[in-house]
Amino acid sequence: MRYIKLIGAFFKVSAQAEMAYRVNFFLRLFYAFLNLLTGVLSLVVIFNQVEMIKGWDLPSAMGLLGVYLLLGALRGLFISPSLESVAGMDGEIWQGTFDFTLLRPVDKLFLVSFRHWRIFALVDLLIGLGVLGYAIHLMGAALTLGAVIHFIITLLCGVILLYAALLAFSALVFWNSGFLFTWVINDLFQLARYPLGLYPGWLRLILTWIIPVGLMTTIPAQALAGSLSTGMLILTVLFTIGAFLGATWLFRQGLQKYASASS
Amino acid sequence: MNHQGGWALIKNTWQSWLQHRGFFFLLAFGWMLPLLVYLFVWSAAAEGGTLNGLSQDTLASYYLVLILVNQLTYTTANWTVGDIIRYGQINRWLLQPMSPIYHALSSEIAGKVVFMLFSIPITGILALIIQPQFNLTWQKGLLFIPSLLLAWMLRFFWGYWLALMAFWATRADSLLALQDSLVFLIGGHLAPIKLLPDWMQLPARILPFRYMSAFPVEILTSQLSYDEIFLGLVIQAGWAFLSVMIYRLVWRHGVRHYEAVGG
Repeated sequence: MRYIKLIGAFFKVSAQAEMAYRVNFFLRLFYAFLNLLTGVLSLVVIFNQVEMIKGWDLPSAMGLLGVYLLLGALRGLFISPSLESVAGMDGEIWQGTFDFTLLRPVDKLFLVSFRHWRIFALVDLLIGLGVLGYAIHLMGAALTLGAVIHFIITLLCGVILLYAALLAFSALVFWNSGFLFTWVINDLFQLARYPLGLYPGWLRLILTWIIPVGLMTTIPAQALAGSLSTGMLILTVLFTIGAFLGATWLFRQGLQKYASASS
Repeated sequence: MNHQGGWALIKNTWQSWLQHRGFFFLLAFGWMLPLLVYLFVWSAAAEGGTLNGLSQDTLASYYLVLILVNQLTYTTANWTVGDIIRYGQINRWLLQPMSPIYHALSSEIAGKVVFMLFSIPITGILALIIQPQFNLTWQKGLLFIPSLLLAWMLRFFWGYWLALMAFWATRADSLLALQDSLVFLIGGHLAPIKLLPDWMQLPARILPFRYMSAFPVEILTSQLSYDEIFLGLVIQAGWAFLSVMIYRLVWRHGVRHYEAVGG
């Protein structure tokens, strides 16, 4: 209960800070529009040339794009701003101000994960939902109740996997504070824009099991298209739990290793 | 004009950037990924056939060369010039006895050296994995060089005059984001121009964005007839000339309009 209240407070403070810059809101709208335009036009161009690539047609690829935008929006809403403020460029570990964060009387992992919010990312969230809705509309009658349930479960897995991957990469900063690990994972996340099946075998293996950015979007999109097997569903859930535990373990290990950088 | 001072600045910037190469390698990695995604997407789409006369080999070699050419013509200076104007740091440049464009040029040259140190080996390895076949004639190789130089010139000055809009509007960097989106959509990044749908063909061939990176690559990978190459070179040279003219005009009026902030 206390933690939910805290999240509310963090959200409010972040919102107030952002409201002070009103022009930024229109700029965010402009960027969100560009993002939507390039995403949808990409699919239009590709499926203008071919009807199907490796089993993916326009509606199912559109569903994947919706999942990608939705995950990207959640990342921008709080996961990235919170983690970047610790592990990113000029973050607290670089500056040495992380000491003050450690002194607060709350769970460190909680504080590091939920502290900063970027409310304008709510626009991106709406756009993601819109694209997803459009994809479902394109699929028409093909959608079943079972597919929807599988979709919701795997989408949750996708969010948790994304969080775990970002947390794990941020935790690496405790071992090498000069390197921008968060940038690497942000770059690699772009590969999640298209289904895993499009990539060559070696890359697919990496994007599934080592840096699971491919898994985050492909599996929910498959569930929505109704082509996900029950075995794969269970495997995804188990893998997500494992990844989450692994990432939090890595973070706590890093925290043990942390030595103050301030004098 | 003091060219000696300019050269000293170029050497200085280059050496200092090499010290931070990890950071610049990361930047180069980030620019490479979107193009790699479309390399795989189109390779998967063209499997076992051709798309509008483009084979899987041609598509793969197109994107591999494009990764290099894109980094050779992409200008980071444009993003920083806007900030320097906004924060008033340009005061210092204006007082120095040489043209301020040397500052942009020095980071250009330093950037190219550092980015290529990363990108040439990586694309080399990718070429060994993918092994695309394409036949290169010396005539096309010869025509590639002027078009590459023109592409750099066009992209540099075009971006520079957009960045100089910061003299009038504080958030002019959104213009640069718009340009990046247009280069992606109709500049040959999302798809080679030949694969775009009909309604995008004309804007793609007339507007400057294709001539900023894709056009030299189309020449080198033998996608164009000699007539198309010469027509393209004329359009490219025209845009390059125009961009220099606009830059000079904007600079002259901008500096006059500028009022110093800070020192």
